[in-house]
Amino acid sequence: MSRSIVKFMAIILVIAAITYVGIAGLDFSDKVKIPGVTDEGGITQGLDLKGGTVIVFEADAENPSDDDMSTVIQTIRKRLDLQNYTEATVTRQGSDKIRVELPDVQDANKAVETLGATAQLVFAETVTQDPSDSNKVTVDKQVMTGDQVKDATVEYGSSDGKSMGKNSYRINLTLTDEGRAAFAEATGRLVGQPIYIVMDNSVISAPRVNSKIDSNTCEITGEFTADEAKALAANIKSGRIPFNLNQVEVRTVSATLGEEALDNAVKAGIIGLILVMLFMLICYRLLGFMADIALVSYIGIVLIILANCHVNLTLPGIAGIILSVGMAVDANVVIFERVKEELRLGKTVRSAVDAGFDRALAAVIDSNVTTIISAVILWVLGTGTIKGFGITLFIGIVVSMISAIFVTKFLLKQMIGMNVKNLWLYGISKKSQVEEVKGGKA
Amino acid sequence: MFSIMKHKWVFMGISFALMIVSVISLIVRGFNLDTDFAGGIAVTYEIKTDFNTEDVQKIVDEALGSHQSPSSIQRSNNDEVVVKFGYENDLKTEADRSAFSLDRVTKITTALQEKYDPNASGDDSKVLLKNQDIISPSTGQDLARSALWMSILACIAILFYVTLRFEFVSGVVAIFALVHDVLILLGLYSIMQWSVDTNFIAAILTVLGYSINNTIVIMDRIRENTRHARKESYSEIADKSILQTMNRSLNTTITTLLTIGMVYILGVKSIQVFALPIIIGIVIGFYSSVFVAGPLWATWRDSAVNAKKKA
Repeated sequence: MSRSIVKFMAIILVIAAITYVGIAGLDFSDKVKIPGVTDEGGITQGLDLKGGTVIVFEADAENPSDDDMSTVIQTIRKRLDLQNYTEATVTRQGSDKIRVELPDVQDANKAVETLGATAQLVFAETVTQDPSDSNKVTVDKQVMTGDQVKDATVEYGSSDGKSMGKNSYRINLTLTDEGRAAFAEATGRLVGQPIYIVMDNSVISAPRVNSKIDSNTCEITGEFTADEAKALAANIKSGRIPFNLNQVEVRTVSATLGEEALDNAVKAGIIGLILVMLFMLICYRLLGFMADIALVSYIGIVLIILANCHVNLTLPGIAGIILSVGMAVDANVVIFERVKEELRLGKTVRSAVDAGFDRALAAVIDSNVTTIISAVILWVLGTGTIKGFGITLFIGIVVSMISAIFVTKFLLKQMIGMNVKNLWLYGISKKSQVEEVKGGKA
Repeated sequence: MFSIMKHKWVFMGISFALMIVSVISLIVRGFNLDTDFAGGIAVTYEIKTDFNTEDVQKIVDEALGSHQSPSSIQRSNNDEVVVKFGYENDLKTEADRSAFSLDRVTKITTALQEKYDPNASGDDSKVLLKNQDIISPSTGQDLARSALWMSILACIAILFYVTLRFEFVSGVVAIFALVHDVLILLGLYSIMQWSVDTNFIAAILTVLGYSINNTIVIMDRIRENTRHARKESYSEIADKSILQTMNRSLNTTITTLLTIGMVYILGVKSIQVFALPIIIGIVIGFYSSVFVAGPLWATWRDSAVNAKKKA
């Protein structure tokens, strides 16, 4: 008996610790930290909670190629960086759409204009630093515009074309005839000096001219990494975004609305949780108490996952978690009803619990798998808030099965060890106990 | 003791009647599609001063100009007003439509601010744009298509799983219960003309996955009881299994309703429209699992046995 109590107390402590970490996080040292949901940045809030703007652009072209689409995405990213929207995300949606999520941006009009416009790419001879913003410049003398670059590609190899040369990434430019003339004239004068490549008033590269270039192709060499080279090529090309972008979806949620929604949802979750715990306690008494402890562990685990896997939490996502609290006890209800039946047949608590778990396991798994199927489909194929719902529903159901089966079973074993024999505590009334036991023996 | 099998024709009759009504309504009335599906513009303003909807209507009409596109003004929460309007019909390209929508929203916002808070600057304004959804019609079509695909995929995957784990008749009955639940849910939304948005799809798929839970637990019990049965008919087995699992079916439904019900009671509007179809779906799912799935299964199996005897 005493060993069971020790184990029981131990698991309660573990569950309390898990829940605490889930809520408040844990800092081992400055480097090793487990964020909790209340930590700054612990939860990645979706735009419907923290407020912001979602813009979906559609390519104004039939079947745009993957290359073109990634060029456009690179461009939008670059523009977002230049505008200091560091928290913005850009993702491709379907074959011809790009989804841009801008936290805290209320002025959708302005965002659409800056992002959707064709980039202002300029090759400049001289530029002047903007006195108010160190990242910005104004172009004094222009060599040519981005429109005069036909293509920009990344190549890997030795720069002089010989096998002995050092391999590096470089960018091949293909110029229009007009661009070639302008470039030849400028490079003739500027040998040894840099040419500034300026996008949206910001220098993105300043290669030095080695010699006069009078050709439709030229290359920019330097110590590029593969990613840098690709980004630069994409940016140069973006002066020529291959198609127009139309925004087909713009959604703005104000921060106050998001905050209100979050507060209410958290309140609903806590009250719902308490109601479910009370319900289990009333229906299943001691067993229900164990299920409640398991439910707390479920909450703790879900919170830790949310805080550490950077799940994008949306409003339907929170609803998914709250819903799964209700579903979480389902496995326990199935098992406990079975245990009660076995007890009524006059079995000992130990064998009733064993039989209950064994017989109920198939039903628990079968009934949860179908919900998991739906959740995965929403997660993988859904977009926006629906995706967020699919993810949290999936996490909720999987964790709930684990907590209901393993944690509850462990708890019940310790309970058996403590030798509680009063059947009332298992949710069986004295009267039905006598009748059923008699009936069972007859 | 109450026997569900004795009244099976009543229960199944109710189900079939509801399904037929739903199908008719879906064909005749269709859905009240929200901006998400139909395309259009929906903007929610918070106006922290006295206002009336007629004035707002006037401002909206002025902003929309002579090419009237259908608009609606709806007051909610006392200090909020939802302005909805569609695209003008003569806008041919997406570029025109996007220019139109942003321009008109800006016009309405400015006009409202001028009227109700002419001296305000920046964020302190008494007129706040709380929420705006600008959806092109093509997006709505994409959404509808992807919703349909997701539902079909879910049905096939679930049918596959259930047939794998149980025998074929159970699989068919489980899917029937599923279709029954979703159909009546859709029918209810069609009859009531409640508006249908993106989150409704997520709700439907949740109902698809969850309402089958009860059916499966009952089927599982039937599977077990069939193994131990000697002379009982399938009807007797079904009756026994349904009653044995009744407590569980009820309790699970109650716990789930407790949580999602709280979301509905306390939630903001956008989450209420999401929670409501889930709540309704869970209730319909309980009915179909307990009162329809088992009886249907037993009737099918018993009639197969009788047919064999006669032959």
